[in-house]
Amino acid sequence: MSDSRQQRRTVIVSIAAIVAVVLAALAGLAIGPTPISVGAIVGDILRHLGIGHQQLSPLNATIIWQLRAPRMVLGLLVGAMLAVAGGAYQGVFRNPLADPYLLGVAAGAGLGATLAIVHDGGAVNVPTWTPWLAFAGALLAVALTWVIGGRGLRSTTSTLILAGVAVASLLTSAQTYLQQQASVQSIARVYIWLLGSLAQASWSSVTTILPYVAVCIALCVVAGRALDIMSVGEEEARALGLPVRRVRTVVILASSLGTAAVVSVVGLIGFVGIIVPHIVRLLVGTSYRRILPLSVLVGAAFLVGADTIARTILSPTELPLGVVTAAIGAPVFVLILSLRRGARV
Amino acid sequence: MSVLVNELRIRSGKTTLVDGVSLEVAKGSWCTIIGPNGAGKTSLVTAMAGLRPHQEGSVSIDGVDVHALGERDRARRLAFVPQHPTVPAGMTVAEYVTLGRTASHGLLRAPSSDDRAIVEGVLERLHLAEFRHRDVTTLSGGERQRAVLARTFAQGTTVVILDEPTTGLDVRHQMEVLELLKKEVDECQLTVIATLHDLTLAGVFADQLVLLANGRILTQGPSADVLRSAALSEAYDMSLRVLSVDGADVVIPVR
Repeated sequence: MSDSRQQRRTVIVSIAAIVAVVLAALAGLAIGPTPISVGAIVGDILRHLGIGHQQLSPLNATIIWQLRAPRMVLGLLVGAMLAVAGGAYQGVFRNPLADPYLLGVAAGAGLGATLAIVHDGGAVNVPTWTPWLAFAGALLAVALTWVIGGRGLRSTTSTLILAGVAVASLLTSAQTYLQQQASVQSIARVYIWLLGSLAQASWSSVTTILPYVAVCIALCVVAGRALDIMSVGEEEARALGLPVRRVRTVVILASSLGTAAVVSVVGLIGFVGIIVPHIVRLLVGTSYRRILPLSVLVGAAFLVGADTIARTILSPTELPLGVVTAAIGAPVFVLILSLRRGARV
Repeated sequence: MSVLVNELRIRSGKTTLVDGVSLEVAKGSWCTIIGPNGAGKTSLVTAMAGLRPHQEGSVSIDGVDVHALGERDRARRLAFVPQHPTVPAGMTVAEYVTLGRTASHGLLRAPSSDDRAIVEGVLERLHLAEFRHRDVTTLSGGERQRAVLARTFAQGTTVVILDEPTTGLDVRHQMEVLELLKKEVDECQLTVIATLHDLTLAGVFADQLVLLANGRILTQGPSADVLRSAALSEAYDMSLRVLSVDGADVVIPVR
């Protein structure tokens, strides 16, 4: 593809992605058991910004600003983080099957959450310290993978991937054992946590993960240029003057930390991290300088859209978010794949 | 003084791959390392490029230890081409050649107008300008190797190390690659260190040949001194004859 066509395509996809984020965000606010018009919501947002006097009713204002808005914003953060982490992992491991859970983050978070929930016994709600234990579990898992995979600096990417597989199986077996020892109620709650959901979203969960997610997304996006150079392989990238180990360390730490923060709050949401970067790659080509920033936008729009469907389609019951992300993502991916046959994945 | 290898020893586990190699390559000259498979050629050149750890000895360029340099500083002094360069899908020839400017523009900045001018110059010089927007993976073997050389020259180093730069090329394209390198040596004082399997071509292009076997240097010097049937037959463990044809030493195997 010529450079100018590539550039034009990238501009078009970028504009479409920004529009998608805005539409998904507005849909996330407007759609629900109490329908509230987009016009009224936009009017209220403008009033907050000091333009106009249109106001929502107190009830609707509470629904929007205390329930739907934090959930929508959390969805944007989670989708953006998982998608960019998946894209960065695919670049650093030069492996199209890499996803943010590759180094054991999911298994570690799962074990941490299970510990918290099982320890709490028969309580009705998931204990408040579940996210912290999940976060600790996720980081511990990556640290363990790092140590086993050859103490990080001297390791090759394939030993790290294999160490990740080993750590994930080990922690999953521990988690399964704990679960099997627990009460039926606890098992049900663990199961629901593992499926992932934004239902517990609040402004405090948003502000808790925001610093991690903001820094980690920024680091991943900035690494795009380095990841493009690494596409010639590690030895040649070093010969070209790229400090490969340092880049790898920064990208893996940023992706893992951000993913751990996100997963600890919303549970294990699959599919976004692996499929969104591939959709973007099919649209704009193989350069990570384009893939990573666009994955942030597409991942955010995709997750909020999926969550809106998950919480409304069978209302008042909520579908597990992971079910919806896969049910929408897989056909979309296949469609783009068939339309862009011959493009390189 | 240019590239100096002093008593280099490389081990992998209990196997000694390179066993006390010393050699000196003068600035603006061409040194080719020959020897049978498993002689340690690749280990030697990757260590000379600072990309492989060694156990003893040292490699220096103009008195600076290659292994003490960071990636970026090293890449400003020497360029390295492995035997099978990775050609990434979805990258245009221009983007691929621009990778050679990595050490100059750094990781966080886009290539400058100077970088672009250098890339353009190299593309012209290596007759690649018309392929500028082509995907590198769609090039033929000969064109692809020219693109690899372009990336290497774009790096703008005084030393270039190549491992088997003629692998998989027909004789015309082998000559083309070697002539392009020779031109840089003659006109720009480039120092070239290469490994080659074709002994005749090795003799034609190098100022200095190094015959390696079992990790040690058997002989080194001008090609006329190294391309001798006795030494070659010993290194390759077979009968080889050297004939002189039109002033070139031609090596042929004897059944």
